[in-house]
Amino acid sequence: MALNRETSGNRWRIRPDGPGKVTGGLAYLTDLSAPNMLHGLVLRSPHAHARIAEVRTEEALALPGVHAVLTHADVPGLNRFGIAHPDHPVFCEERVRFVGDAVAAVAADSAELAMEALARIEVDYEYLPVVSDPELAMREDAPQLHERGNIQHRNDYVRGDVEAAFAASAHIVEDTYETPRQMHTYMETEGGLFVPEADGRLTVYSATQHGLMDRMQLARILARPEADIRIVSSPIGGSFGGKDELNVQPYGALLALACGRPVKLHNNRFESVRAGLKRHPMRITMKTGVDAGGKLLAHRVRIVSDAGPYSTLSAEVLNFAVEHTLGAYRYEAVEVRSFCVFTNNGMSGEFRGFGGNQALFALEGQLDRLADKLGIDPWELRRRNLRQRGDPGPFEQPIAQTDGARQVWEALPASRLWLERAEAAAAAEAAPAAPTASAAPAAPLGMTPDADLRSASSGTAEAATLQLPWLKIGYGASFVMHGAGLGVGIPDPAGGRLTLAPDGKIEAAFGYEEFGQGLIASLEQMLIEKFGFAGSDLRLVVGDTDAVPDSGSSTASRATSMMWQALERMREPFAHSLLQVASRVLVLPKERLRIGEGGVCDAASGERLLAYRELAQSAAEPIACETSFSYPASPVERVGAHYLYTYCSVGVKVEVNTLTGRVRVLDQFHAVAAGPVVNPQGFLGQIEGGASMALGFTLTEDAVMNSGMYLTRNLDSYLVPTIAEQRGRVEVLPIEELPDGDAHGPRGIGEVGSVGLAPAIAQAVFNAVGKRVSKLPIDPAELQEVPDIVKEGSCPV
Amino acid sequence: MAANLEEFLLSPAVWQPQSSGAAVRLKHALGPLGVYTAGSTLLRTQWEAGGGKLPTHLIDLTAIPGLDRIAVQNGELIIGATARLNDCSSHPVVMERAPLLADAIRQIAGWSVRNQATLGGNAASRVGDAVPALLALDACLVWHDGEKQYTEHIAEWLSVQNWPGMLEWVETRDTIGLRLLTSIRIPLPDEYTTKQTRRWFAYHKAGRREAFMPSLVTAAVAAEVGEDGAFADIRITAGGGRTVPLRLTEAERLLRGRRPEAAALRQVHEAVREQYVPEPDPFATDDYRKLTLANLIAAELWKRK
Ligand SMILES: Cc1cc2nc3c(=O)[nH]c(=O)nc-3n(C[C@H](O)[C@H](O)[C@H](O)COP(=O)(O)OP(=O)(O)OC[C@H]3O[C@@H](n4cnc5c(N)ncnc54)[C@H](O)[C@@H]3O)c2cc1C
Repeated sequence: MALNRETSGNRWRIRPDGPGKVTGGLAYLTDLSAPNMLHGLVLRSPHAHARIAEVRTEEALALPGVHAVLTHADVPGLNRFGIAHPDHPVFCEERVRFVGDAVAAVAADSAELAMEALARIEVDYEYLPVVSDPELAMREDAPQLHERGNIQHRNDYVRGDVEAAFAASAHIVEDTYETPRQMHTYMETEGGLFVPEADGRLTVYSATQHGLMDRMQLARILARPEADIRIVSSPIGGSFGGKDELNVQPYGALLALACGRPVKLHNNRFESVRAGLKRHPMRITMKTGVDAGGKLLAHRVRIVSDAGPYSTLSAEVLNFAVEHTLGAYRYEAVEVRSFCVFTNNGMSGEFRGFGGNQALFALEGQLDRLADKLGIDPWELRRRNLRQRGDPGPFEQPIAQTDGARQVWEALPASRLWLERAEAAAAAEAAPAAPTASAAPAAPLGMTPDADLRSASSGTAEAATLQLPWLKIGYGASFVMHGAGLGVGIPDPAGGRLTLAPDGKIEAAFGYEEFGQGLIASLEQMLIEKFGFAGSDLRLVVGDTDAVPDSGSSTASRATSMMWQALERMREPFAHSLLQVASRVLVLPKERLRIGEGGVCDAASGERLLAYRELAQSAAEPIACETSFSYPASPVERVGAHYLYTYCSVGVKVEVNTLTGRVRVLDQFHAVAAGPVVNPQGFLGQIEGGASMALGFTLTEDAVMNSGMYLTRNLDSYLVPTIAEQRGRVEVLPIEELPDGDAHGPRGIGEVGSVGLAPAIAQAVFNAVGKRVSKLPIDPAELQEVPDIVKEGSCPV
Repeated sequence: MAANLEEFLLSPAVWQPQSSGAAVRLKHALGPLGVYTAGSTLLRTQWEAGGGKLPTHLIDLTAIPGLDRIAVQNGELIIGATARLNDCSSHPVVMERAPLLADAIRQIAGWSVRNQATLGGNAASRVGDAVPALLALDACLVWHDGEKQYTEHIAEWLSVQNWPGMLEWVETRDTIGLRLLTSIRIPLPDEYTTKQTRRWFAYHKAGRREAFMPSLVTAAVAAEVGEDGAFADIRITAGGGRTVPLRLTEAERLLRGRRPEAAALRQVHEAVREQYVPEPDPFATDDYRKLTLANLIAAELWKRK
């Protein structure tokens, strides 16, 4: 059953942070200010690559109202950050490697003064050659950005004899796929408030996806014990992976400690674009062979990923991409070679989908091209090659078994959208396309049945009823198998804590972050549905390192799964403790009691017998329960291999306007096999939201660089989809069933929505106009045509 | 406090003259230090992109009483320079009798920007998306030079070469840059027409997404169509990006007196690609923009058939 408000019944709840966000009443961390607060700004390199000859800060410091001007000399600890490989300088010492690189930071009485102070810092640069093409960067004669060379990471995977498998193939396709430098474009840009406390500690109010990781990194930079630092990091106005790594925190912390006063930093959009992370642009070349029956024999992959100047999680993203270029299919032999390359382009890093988006665009593109060669339906080709239940994962590693692959495969042909497609195909066969429709090789549907809906065209009412021969309709689909969790070889802790607080609130504390995904809404819903509490009984504590246990990061589609696991583990013991004390207080056997809304209830009648406040007051010691465990991992050596997977099928219908070459997505279907739906609104929001990011990835978004400089410096040229792009329908079908005895519960859905749409759109475009797209975002010029109405010999009707 | 004083010194002085004449005289007195500002939506984007440098003096035109009036006078639609874009596009007379302009305005920026931005500011920028529509509607601009008002045909104004660019405007002493646009006059078709022709128009803005985007190509067509379907008169205009809008005179010539048959469409398609030379745009090739313009115009004409 499609997931929506109606089908969800009373499970469709108003999220606890909803009213505040809708009314604007909720304060984000970048809305905070403190008495006596200073304003901080960072001086960033205007050059993509240069040697720093000298930095002079005296004039800036001399400006009245300027309280600190810091450079690398002022960093007491490690002058580097990076979650996995700390090589990103807090302040550059003798070299800048991209236009966002930090050279100095100032704190002043006002933002305007801080700006003036930045202008007075003098930096002498000597230009160095800019390395902007990752392919060229790999050459030995290229300028080297780091001592270790320009190749940050390599990851190869070889199984079987690929040459022999190609030799045995009946059909082979080869193509190179390119994907854009997509920006997270969170509404709240990076920023925060940094407060030195009276007791000597430092409080950091700044967004992150892993408070404890920020605490560790800041302690390393500041040369202070972690216990001296408190990170408050939620609520967050969007992150999508972009705020997992440190951004303004080192500068805010150093300035606040240097001045002994609170300091606020908040990037404007220009600075956010310049300094922030982007999705890794990748060039993926694939050569894939099948036998005459459509069985995949050989698959050769080469990935070149543009890391930008420093490591952050580029290696991990590449590992993920490698796994997902193999995906859901079985091959006789595979060979993947991959490179992550340092350049002087903008910083690349973690982004929802984590390399899966790029990989799947290429992989699914190959399947569609092969189906065309074989003359069979692309969906049928997938069926012939899908991993079956019992099969290992992409790296031949053991994985948690489900029927997800089969289930989502079957869901697509049964969907409303695919039935419509079948009808349209039948109609087109019965009545051959009208003469004005172009005879595109694989556009059996010819003329669109749709009226011209563009508000742009106007003038005559009758235009709206005309059938416009330049609008072409097409359908396409893709298959997704997406891993969740950090994967083999990376510590992946999880855990949580439940407490009956002295004021009678049930306090649920998790080290996760609320960045708009609906984490606290899901937590609330699970506590209500698993335990029987009322929403008003609860206090949800996230995003504060002083108050939460180590739950690991809010990344890799893992947080909701891990909260579910943690609550499963704590349900019995916590309920037991509550009822035990209640039984003593009420002098009733425990069996006659149960957890209820507002308090402990009579198990039979449901009547409330003891409010939680009273229970808390009568307990001799606090009632609490804590759990800690790890995200399940596959028992293999292969770094990054996953154990839990989510499966999706994605179908789309597009309209290509061949006058302009622009593509509109009219309809989407997503079947998602990820176990039980924890929170219907959150589930739908994740798939729809992910899909809308994918829409941008496919049609409009690219942070364009020229010689290491951004051409798209702001949101007036970097174009995310608007509501006008999203007018089409989106249907989401969750497949909740899991095999008997499955212990893992809900799988991750935070990323999958963003992965499958691009290849489905590319195939739909091919279906509409017969042109293969292998570079994203789709360049309308590739799809534009001189319309038949002006062609010689045409007879406009 | 030092900080507040500093802040005060850094922010511009805002002048609110009470008449057009006073505004122009102020501009003459302040020279390059003073900048006319209406909705300030375009100016704002320039300040932000330029690193936040504000002018020393802002001459706020929205304080001038009556400068935002929209009225019909002697068969002309007169729109005051500071009329807000949303007020223009939702004005009953504009919607009914100049729907081409209403259409064009609805494709400028987003709703909140249109609540603040003015038609005068859009026109004064020369590359605003309303300009191709105004040109196709044969509009006239009414200027104030500090002493008197005078009228100039929009085509004439657009054809001036080396018009001080939007940013440079702030810095030049060029006398053209000193005058104030007070209103825009648009000839209206006879309300109770006895003519045997019908008005027909079309407007397109193509960019890199569906809405709220800078244009790559804008096109406007306004025509009188006879009973036989032939164009008694037609004006076709094109702009887009930083391209100053122009009339596509060759295409117009090809169509005048003709019906939009296949042969005519073919010729028009070719003529448009020939005459339209867009200012370069980093995100689309000239060829793409030429073909887009030609396709959109041909398609509109084809739909006319
Ligand atoms: C987010 C955003 C999106 C935008 N999208 C579009 C778009 O899609 N299409 C488009 O065309 N524009 C767009 N703009 C630009 C701008 O909003 C419009 O052109 C708007 O109409 C300008 O009007 P304004 O009143 O705000 O002009 P202002 O910014 O006040 O002034 C613009 C210029 O004209 C001068 N000026 C203003 N009024 C007069 C006058 N009466 N006489 C002489 N000179 C004058 C000013 O000195 C200045 O140089 C966008 C702007 C923003 C911020």
